[in-house]
Amino acid sequence: MIISRLVLKNWRNFRTLDLQFTDRVFVIGPNASGKSNLLDVFRFLRDIAKPGGGLQHAVDKRLGLSKVRCLAARREPDVEIEVELSEEGAEARWRYAVGITQQVRGRRQPILRSEKVWKDGRLLMERPDKDDEADEDRLTQTHLEQINSNAEFRDIARFFESIRYLHLVPQLLRNPEAFQGPSIPDDPYGRNFLEMVAKTPEKTRRSRLKKIEEALRQAVPQLQGLMDTKDDAGIPHLEATYTHWRPHAGRQREDQFSDGTLRLIGLFWSLLEGESPLLLEEPELSLHSGIVAKLPALFHRLQRKRRRQIFVSTHSGDLLSQKSIGGEEVIMLRPDKEGTVAELASSVDEVRTLLDDGLSIADVALPRTAPPSLGQFELFE
Amino acid sequence: MSPIPINLATEDELSEATLLRILRDLDRYVVGTPYRRGGFGYLRRTIHGWNSAARSIPFIVLTDLDVCECPASLIADWLTAPQHPNLLFRIAVREVESWLLADTVNLSRFLGVPEREMPSDCDNLADPKAEIIELARRSRIRAIRDGIVPKRGSTAKQGPDYNGLLGLFVRGGWDLKAAAAGSPSLARTICRLTVFNPAWTLP
Repeated sequence: MIISRLVLKNWRNFRTLDLQFTDRVFVIGPNASGKSNLLDVFRFLRDIAKPGGGLQHAVDKRLGLSKVRCLAARREPDVEIEVELSEEGAEARWRYAVGITQQVRGRRQPILRSEKVWKDGRLLMERPDKDDEADEDRLTQTHLEQINSNAEFRDIARFFESIRYLHLVPQLLRNPEAFQGPSIPDDPYGRNFLEMVAKTPEKTRRSRLKKIEEALRQAVPQLQGLMDTKDDAGIPHLEATYTHWRPHAGRQREDQFSDGTLRLIGLFWSLLEGESPLLLEEPELSLHSGIVAKLPALFHRLQRKRRRQIFVSTHSGDLLSQKSIGGEEVIMLRPDKEGTVAELASSVDEVRTLLDDGLSIADVALPRTAPPSLGQFELFE
Repeated sequence: MSPIPINLATEDELSEATLLRILRDLDRYVVGTPYRRGGFGYLRRTIHGWNSAARSIPFIVLTDLDVCECPASLIADWLTAPQHPNLLFRIAVREVESWLLADTVNLSRFLGVPEREMPSDCDNLADPKAEIIELARRSRIRAIRDGIVPKRGSTAKQGPDYNGLLGLFVRGGWDLKAAAAGSPSLARTICRLTVFNPAWTLP
């Protein structure tokens, strides 16, 4: 299943947004235009649905509804999120909508304005219902987060729960002990990546590492025999040999791997990891432009058997020069006075014409989302 | 008359800034999207796209003649399809820098060099950019020397803030009339932009 449509109102940078998605989505836009905030809506749904999560947790984690709400919005309107889930190319199987506001008095908790679920176009659940009217505290929780209430649509909860976000920081993976404090839930930055690899059942782990090594050969041809191991203290590690070194140079551990190698390993692992949507922030970081250009093809190869929907935020011209990327896969973000405007590249006539004429996304869409250049301000103001 | 919507396509920051300044002074256009990507070959690769997109919105493409012999042969070489009447293809002889050098008085003041050292007959300079850098090297203003001139011994072709500083000049100090008097190539472009009358329909 993929997230096939997203409708937002007053979510962070976006006053309104309505987008359709395919199984691969690239999000482009200038700095601070809201790329991460767009991806964050999926993490928000995950935070509601995951065990130990819930609406209060999801809003708290983001430091309150006022931080989540669009700054460009007047007064204090509701935040509304609606998603459709479907098998690719098919009609929507599920539709989930949630509207959130804040209690006017008392503890000023975030509460539900509405919550709705549709299955195959039929309304399955709608709140507030009679019980909610009798007991307003019920509105502090969604049905999605409650096993007692979500039996009919638990598939949605499971789906949201399995969404994964990855923005791997090589330094963190290499020196987890150097970063004190509690680990961040869901480990988006890869601090416990090695532990997670070690916990994977052996057969799956070996098979994934083998595939990763094959894919890595495109980028780091001298790296061979990638495998996991444990040191005397039982701490998990990754090991490989570099063939251009002395023949018996011994194996190298991950603390000797380059930033780029570590990021690729993390990236490839997460692609093989499941079937739920994967959110990737700037996969081009630390990578040579020649490798960046190959990423779409590598992603494709690694996912031949099982395809998970991927959302990729990127600034990379090398990545977006690939002619295999279609305008229907690219979301362009453009900051505006009233918040950020999000458009599908193929929905803009001019972009579509230019793409049809053989120009690449990098040629057409990147300049459109570039920051204003010298002298441009005066013309527009 | 309502302003003419127009998109731009250029290959570098300075060309874009120059074109925007010209359009601003002419006061008959409203700029939609300025398309620009650095690097040689962007315009050549994309020119057919702009040409066909010109069906719905007028386009100006500005490039440098560089080492090419003459503008007409450059256009013929790049654009094999018939040129759409809404596409204006302008070529700076030899580079957009010639157009800046043509405003002798203001550029000499901006660069901090005596006016007598400024070159004449700008359109016939073989390498106008190198000319600007040479002038900047002799500047009495340190910011100009440091920003425009590449470090001694470097293979870099321009200083770290070349585009930024010259962009500043283009936006503020550059006198279009004076420059047009010194550069026939610029005068022709301004003339074409003054009479350019594309047909378009509002979306």
